[in-house]
Amino acid sequence: MKYMLIIYGNEELWNSVEPAEQQRMFAAFDEFNKTHYASGELLGAYGVADAAATKLVRLRDGQPAVTDGPYLETKEYLASWYLIDVDSEQRALEIAAALPSAVHQPTEVWPILHEASRETGADMGVA
Amino acid sequence: MTTGQSTEDLLRELAPQVLGVLMRRYDGLDSCEDAVQEALLDAAVQWPASGSPENPRAWLLTVATRRLADILRSEAARRRREDADYLATPPAVLPGADAWLSDTGLVGTGLAGPRDGDDTLTLLFLCCHPALTSSSQVALTLRAVGGLTTAEIARAFVVPESTMAQRISRAKQQIRAAGARFAPPDAADRDERLRAVQQVAYLIFNEGYTASAGESLQRTDLSTEGIRLARLLRRLLPDDAETAALLALMLLTEARRAARVAPDGALIPLAEQDRARWDRALIDEGSALIEQTLTTTTALGPYQLQAAIAAVHDEAASLTDTDWTEILGLYELLAQVSPGPMVSLGKAVAVAMAHGPAAGLAATDELAGQLAKHHRFHAVRGHLLEMSGDRAGAASAYDTAARYATNAAEKRYLSRQGRRSRET
Repeated sequence: MKYMLIIYGNEELWNSVEPAEQQRMFAAFDEFNKTHYASGELLGAYGVADAAATKLVRLRDGQPAVTDGPYLETKEYLASWYLIDVDSEQRALEIAAALPSAVHQPTEVWPILHEASRETGADMGVA
Repeated sequence: MTTGQSTEDLLRELAPQVLGVLMRRYDGLDSCEDAVQEALLDAAVQWPASGSPENPRAWLLTVATRRLADILRSEAARRRREDADYLATPPAVLPGADAWLSDTGLVGTGLAGPRDGDDTLTLLFLCCHPALTSSSQVALTLRAVGGLTTAEIARAFVVPESTMAQRISRAKQQIRAAGARFAPPDAADRDERLRAVQQVAYLIFNEGYTASAGESLQRTDLSTEGIRLARLLRRLLPDDAETAALLALMLLTEARRAARVAPDGALIPLAEQDRARWDRALIDEGSALIEQTLTTTTALGPYQLQAAIAAVHDEAASLTDTDWTEILGLYELLAQVSPGPMVSLGKAVAVAMAHGPAAGLAATDELAGQLAKHHRFHAVRGHLLEMSGDRAGAASAYDTAARYATNAAEKRYLSRQGRRSRET
């Protein structure tokens, strides 16, 4: 069973963290990634750039129109996500709780329902 | 080589036997398993090109033993400083194996050697070791006993190959760390360990069964793998009633596969399936197997009862022809042998079919707390409410079921049921 763990970032909050503490956090995330890659449970870990770097693409009269900024105007933006493959929901929750960020922020745990086949592009309805 | 048997089938049949022999002689699952995989790859490349050897099993054993010697030698070289004794092992490996090989002259098919069956069973017990998570047990069993490559297993579970490789190598490390040896489990543990093996085979089967139809063409067919393992286990333990029943249950379930999914991938429930599309040969085999098992069994177990229920469904010409009183009786036994909310839910359906929807709904009431977030509970409620004529209640229950479903095909089916209940 696959799950997506999503962490939302808050620019102001992150910038208020001491550099030394930031370094400690990065190291803790590296350790987290290493542990769960080694167990075969972590399929991928990703983080996005600053919200200011985001572009929004819309089709206007069939032509792409590109503007700056994320779709939603909020303080919290998607910051990182982890794709895991575990035996149970219980295990997914344990891993979410083991994220170094868990002491500061909540993590959303989403069961993955759809996955497109590499061969056909069709939805495989992952259970 | 038996005519009509492909190289791949033959290799996969021989894989656990060869691994069993290596394990018995040298132990160390990780090295032995790597050695056998390399020998299988050599065979897969060489045999189709230059023809199968006269004695495929002996060929594989020889090559795997040499590979093992190479592996042990390089490991020994690495550890030379730490462990001088280790170096003494490799030279002993080759001559011993060769002498043993020339003694036996085993034939290439079936369980040729006298101890092959025991070895394969011990290997299964080891792969399903309690120190492992169920996904690791499944992966290791498919590789070590099923003879699948890591790439094939990764494809079947839709994870990257590197992830599956990590999972398998970690599983082997955990088995070693748990101090497990290549020996049958103690008499005290044996029943529990056997249940774990059965469960792994059933998990593999179910993983394939829930996958949608379009994809099964691309995915390694896990249902077939599950049935293969159950057949193997039954050959190893012909007198074990639960093992026979597990195979019967799989066959009786697999028989409905073609009728279970519409061409567009939508799920078709039992009530609406075209029973002419059920596989008669599988039903006959499964029914005969469970019937024979139930006449000789000394203790009723969950697989026997589930197979018996599946047989009653499969033998019925239509939903209304189904002997629901018998199914209800079997569910009552199942609830005693293996109590749980999902069994109670199945029983509630049987109650509804035997005694009417109101009685069935009443039977689901006590499950509301435990199964509040389980889609099947709400799907059953929807079905029973629909039977009782409460269309609005049914629609709302189907909608809730669709929200909690974690399989896309089931989710689509339940959403459609919700819409249909509201419209008609």
